[in-house]
Amino acid sequence: MRVNPNIVPDILADLQQSQVSLNTALQQVSTGKSVNQPSDNPAAAAAMVQNTIETGDVDQYTQNVSSALSTVQSASSALSSVVTELTQAVSVGTAGATGTNSSANLQSMVGQVQGILSSVVSQANTSVGGVYLFGGTGTSTPYTPDPSSPYGYTYNGNSDVNSVAVGDDISVQVNVPGSQIFSNSSNNVLGSLSNLIAALQSGDSSAISSATTAVDSAVNYVGQQQVLYSNAESQLNSQETNLQQDTVSLTSQANNLIGANLATAATNLSQAEVENSAAMAAAAKVLPNTLLDYLEPPS
Amino acid sequence: MGGLRTALTIGVQALDVSEAALDTTSNNIANADTPGYTDETVDISANPTTLSGGDIVGGGATLDQVNSSRDELLNQQIQQQTSLEGSANTESAALQQVQTYFGNTGTDIASQLASLSSSLAALSASPSSESAQQSVLAAGQSLAQAFNTTAAGLTGAQSQADGQVTSSVSQINSLTQQIAQLNGELAQATASGQNGGVLEDQRDQVVQQLSSLVGVSVSQSSQGEVITTANGTPLVMGSQSFSLQSVTGSNGFQQVEDANGNNITGDLQGGQLGGAIQVRDQTIPGYLSQLNTLATQFAGSFNDAQALGTDSNGNAGQPFFSLPASGQDAAAGISVALTSPSQIAISSDGSAGSNGNVANLSAVLTSPLPSGQTPANAYAGLVFQVGNDASSAGTESTAIGQNLLQLTNQQGSVSAVNIDEETANLIRYQTAYEAGARIVSTIQQLSTDTLDMGSNQDY
Repeated sequence: MRVNPNIVPDILADLQQSQVSLNTALQQVSTGKSVNQPSDNPAAAAAMVQNTIETGDVDQYTQNVSSALSTVQSASSALSSVVTELTQAVSVGTAGATGTNSSANLQSMVGQVQGILSSVVSQANTSVGGVYLFGGTGTSTPYTPDPSSPYGYTYNGNSDVNSVAVGDDISVQVNVPGSQIFSNSSNNVLGSLSNLIAALQSGDSSAISSATTAVDSAVNYVGQQQVLYSNAESQLNSQETNLQQDTVSLTSQANNLIGANLATAATNLSQAEVENSAAMAAAAKVLPNTLLDYLEPPS
Repeated sequence: MGGLRTALTIGVQALDVSEAALDTTSNNIANADTPGYTDETVDISANPTTLSGGDIVGGGATLDQVNSSRDELLNQQIQQQTSLEGSANTESAALQQVQTYFGNTGTDIASQLASLSSSLAALSASPSSESAQQSVLAAGQSLAQAFNTTAAGLTGAQSQADGQVTSSVSQINSLTQQIAQLNGELAQATASGQNGGVLEDQRDQVVQQLSSLVGVSVSQSSQGEVITTANGTPLVMGSQSFSLQSVTGSNGFQQVEDANGNNITGDLQGGQLGGAIQVRDQTIPGYLSQLNTLATQFAGSFNDAQALGTDSNGNAGQPFFSLPASGQDAAAGISVALTSPSQIAISSDGSAGSNGNVANLSAVLTSPLPSGQTPANAYAGLVFQVGNDASSAGTESTAIGQNLLQLTNQQGSVSAVNIDEETANLIRYQTAYEAGARIVSTIQQLSTDTLDMGSNQDY
């Protein structure tokens, strides 16, 4: 059978083919990716859309967790100080209720409790990064002195709370408004201290005693509020672990989807190089051959 | 003497025939690399001899004709595959270009959805931070831009395909004119008994060029070769050609009309022209409509979420994104309507420190749009489609290329000039010519000897 004497197109096609393999292998090795454009693996490219979004989110959620943790921890430590100070006020009140104090003593006790009150108020006005921890979602100083108020201060915040997103559809409440902790109508911390001051000023032992009891129950109440923060803290800590796992699995998913196996890619590259040079060597050998090369020129 | 004269005639005929064979061989060698040239062979036949009164009369060899080694069926298959290759290559090239807009480049829609999503998460942690607000606004602008760029990339590829329609039509017209002219010349050559092989080669070559531009069907009629498009619009009938025209249609794109002014754009298939029309009128509009739906629905849902909250100035949330008033080309026209980060509706209770509405804004990215898919999934679906189309167009183009190479090899095995074969023939015909010349000189010697018979006294 007669064969095609024109082998040039075949040779060119072979050379092109080996060039394509060479380029692909080179691209995979140099980028470290097996999917460099959607057509390389359409399903993987589509799955990477979700992966890209989730990876960005998880990074941000991780940052949110750490900033929420610092907020919650600051609030929690502020409340711890408040508990310590209220406990001091209880001791002062208990000492004042014995009925054996001189008026000078009582006066100094009044001074102590007034100091405690202003210190508690300053804890209630704690701010982190310009945000008041106990002002609800408001942006003004939560407690300011107000002579017309029964306990001497006005609450300028609101009763709203903020929740920080730390996962898709997962958010953690990071604040308890001051109106709930410090000036609640049933458990008014600031009010109980004001009442104790008034009772100490009056010198009435039974009034001092009942005012001290009220401060004591305020200690318990603040302790209970602190539990809300502890819960948020442990929730945030466990979410941090989840997010770390998410990061690992998203990275490994991305690697599975579009990452190139470097060992395979390098092998492919050297194989493609060999094929390419073999194809060129073969072409160089075969192309110039004709019968004329072997015939004696006419004499 | 009758016998010698016959032998002389036979010798001269041998020279003639060998000369013709040498001519053909030389011509083959000269055209060994001429595109489309088919190998020519000589048909030589022996003349009948009769015995008349003890003498042989007649005999010798005659050159019947010079034949081109052509396989019409193969030619037709090659034409069809060339058409398919033309359209597959055009589609593949356009899709290669289009898919770069959908790659994971860091500026694509997926990356911008990701940065909008994470900037909203950051805003949730620090709602009153101006830089966090600014990032959300900037991410929104980048997303709008990514939609704009992608849409512009698609329409760019579309208008490139439109340009191909115009240029293909003018090339087609020039080729059909050449074919008609060659048909005329071929008819004349055949009528005057000449060998039309070279003209046929040229015509086959032009028809193949035409096939790479548009799918055609070739048939023979009494008037010569008839070429029509796949849907039957005549392009060439014998020595007459029919021009196509491209005119701007109502959609702003070039429409192809036949010689009678009928719009045949939708019926054209195959070749560069068919591929360009497919890309321009089917493939890219499909992507654009999905992209526009995504842009419209995403902007709508985000604006709805924005309306649920209050901005930092205490006003109800205004639309975040604005879309073209026409409702058309949403992806190309989407932009951010807000002018200041303070207009982002972060608060749910009206107070400046609240982040209550951020959750609603974030939810747009993870909740189903009216299409039933989340924005990420809707976009991922489009990425898959573009990638898959580009991949199958590439595979198809490669497969057709292989097929065509195979067919061209087969055609080569029938029609191509083999230098080794021609060299061997050259030697063969040279020997035959030399032998023919020897016949003539031998007869001359014999004639001289015969004429000298009377004058030589020695005999």
